[in-house]
Amino acid sequence: MSGIYLHEINMKRESKSFTDALYAVLTAAGLFEGPKYMLSGLSGMAFKFTVHEQLLPFSVTAYGQWGLEHGPAIDNLGLWTAFDAGRTRHPTFRFYQQDALRWIRESLDRGVGVIYWIPEFGVIRGYDDDDGVFYVQNGWSEDDEIVLYDNMGINFTPFWYVRVFAERVEVPLDQQVLESVRLAIHDWDTPFKTLPDKAIASGKLAYMFLAQGLESGQFDEGGAKYIIDSYKYSRLEIKQYLADVRTLWPELDQAYSFYAELAEAVSDIGLGQDGGISRAIERLRLAEKLEDLAVDQFRLLSAQYPDLKRSIVTRWSAHTAR
Amino acid sequence: MNTDALHIMSSRKSTYPRSYVDAMHTILTKAGWMDCTRPMLSGMTVNGFRFSVNRRLSEESPTAYNWHAEHFLAADFIGVTCSSSMGFNFVPTFPLYRKQAILDIKASIDRGIGAIIWHEGFVVAETYDDQDGEGALLYSDGFSEQLQRLSYAAFGGGPSPYWYYQVMESRISMDDAAVIKESFLQAIFKWETHDLTLPEQDYACGRAAYEAIINALESGDYDREGAKVTFDYYEEAKRDISVYMREAELPHLATGAAAACYEQVAELFSHIIGTDIEDSERLCQLFREALQAEEQAIKQLRLLVREEADNRFHDIGLR
Repeated sequence: MSGIYLHEINMKRESKSFTDALYAVLTAAGLFEGPKYMLSGLSGMAFKFTVHEQLLPFSVTAYGQWGLEHGPAIDNLGLWTAFDAGRTRHPTFRFYQQDALRWIRESLDRGVGVIYWIPEFGVIRGYDDDDGVFYVQNGWSEDDEIVLYDNMGINFTPFWYVRVFAERVEVPLDQQVLESVRLAIHDWDTPFKTLPDKAIASGKLAYMFLAQGLESGQFDEGGAKYIIDSYKYSRLEIKQYLADVRTLWPELDQAYSFYAELAEAVSDIGLGQDGGISRAIERLRLAEKLEDLAVDQFRLLSAQYPDLKRSIVTRWSAHTAR
Repeated sequence: MNTDALHIMSSRKSTYPRSYVDAMHTILTKAGWMDCTRPMLSGMTVNGFRFSVNRRLSEESPTAYNWHAEHFLAADFIGVTCSSSMGFNFVPTFPLYRKQAILDIKASIDRGIGAIIWHEGFVVAETYDDQDGEGALLYSDGFSEQLQRLSYAAFGGGPSPYWYYQVMESRISMDDAAVIKESFLQAIFKWETHDLTLPEQDYACGRAAYEAIINALESGDYDREGAKVTFDYYEEAKRDISVYMREAELPHLATGAAAACYEQVAELFSHIIGTDIEDSERLCQLFREALQAEEQAIKQLRLLVREEADNRFHDIGLR
């Protein structure tokens, strides 16, 4: 076969780009059932919140080393996954790129789309060996972007990233939900995900960076708008997610109430209106308090069950880019 | 087999965890991809420069580090491309990964190159046997002449909670001088930087590892057997690095002063492993001297790569 095109993949930008791409790939392949907010919640992706001190637009995707962030997210869905990524300036890139051409096409041959950093994240939905191209969906446009095999991975950012998926095992829903709140706690508690860089804050500290950035008046306007839109959308996702699983444990019911109040409080913040910024800052302060209370509920829930994954030191987690 | 390896095989206890570099050296030389000595590989891959300990000096110290990052980099620094995977064996997805691991390891063996797997140390899966019922990998552990059997079903199964494998895929040619210079930059990084995988209250890295060892010895609250294993392991690493610094001498790069410092470190470590573990006063003294010597060594390395180090601003590890 010299090509394939997965018509059933339909990525739509609504959530974080990775979540949108993941949802498009998994639902088309029959590897996930349910609404996008459930995927966003169960994978913990909804809880990721990072802000650059100047409110630059890349804040939204700068939630850590992607391998380490996305790996546990996908593992919680019971899926086998593999990825490759790195700096395109490194001498071994060409080899890894050529190798990836092989396994990307293998995945597409199996009928499973591939997540690809355009940027931002999109989906490789097909290839054509005669022309030597991939068809890539970015979630905004009806038309595919065309990426030449030899340009795969090369973009205006310094890094490339590709992820594939395969089989699934069933993981009981309550286990998935428990793990998702633990992922949320970790994100909330980790101030910096891309050390040694301390210009990008995560979780609770991200609120402070956002408020300080807005207060300073010296911020990237497009970035600020994007951060706030993405933030509002993900808080709505969390609220919807918790609404569906709140009956599992009373702590989740409590957390749901806090997130419902939070989502309401920030629903109409924006930078456009008169006094928009000062109102946004005020609402974000309230939201931070509410989210703190919600995460405390997560902690109460988490403490009721052993957490083997976090009681043993790993041999693969956080590292700095080298 | 070189004489260095023979020396190690004869002098080590069987409980000693085999180092990653040792396994990698076996693989690359057997495949004919490299003919350098183990000390050269230890230096170029930066693995010999790593120095991290559990603060109680427990037996895991030599292998408590970020395998994912360090082993990928080890290969990347020398222009070897690889594929690796790892995780906990008690998670629901583990059977999916075990299945893929066996496929990848067998494919690598079919290409004529062994795979590094974690099995109470880093061992080399050299061949496999599909005839025998459920199938098994045959691995060398670096100690015994005979290959050991590990059934596919037992891969990654413990008692350790971790499973890990790495297969080498290809290689590109690298400029030796660039590889060596990069190793010096990374050595400085390893000396100054804590491994983010390890909680700082329980582990220490680089310069801080010396302080942790001295503290443990002074307090008396540490694991005696673990300490012996740890000191033995790092004695070998420091010795490798001292040899590397001599062999790595390049035109226009005067490594002599740094080499002399590392030789002093290696010498002190040879005294350390010859000292009774209960003689904490003498051990502390030796570790203090080794700390001084290695601090000097790093200063010398900085002089050798001053321009490159400056160009990396506050992040010397980022290539």
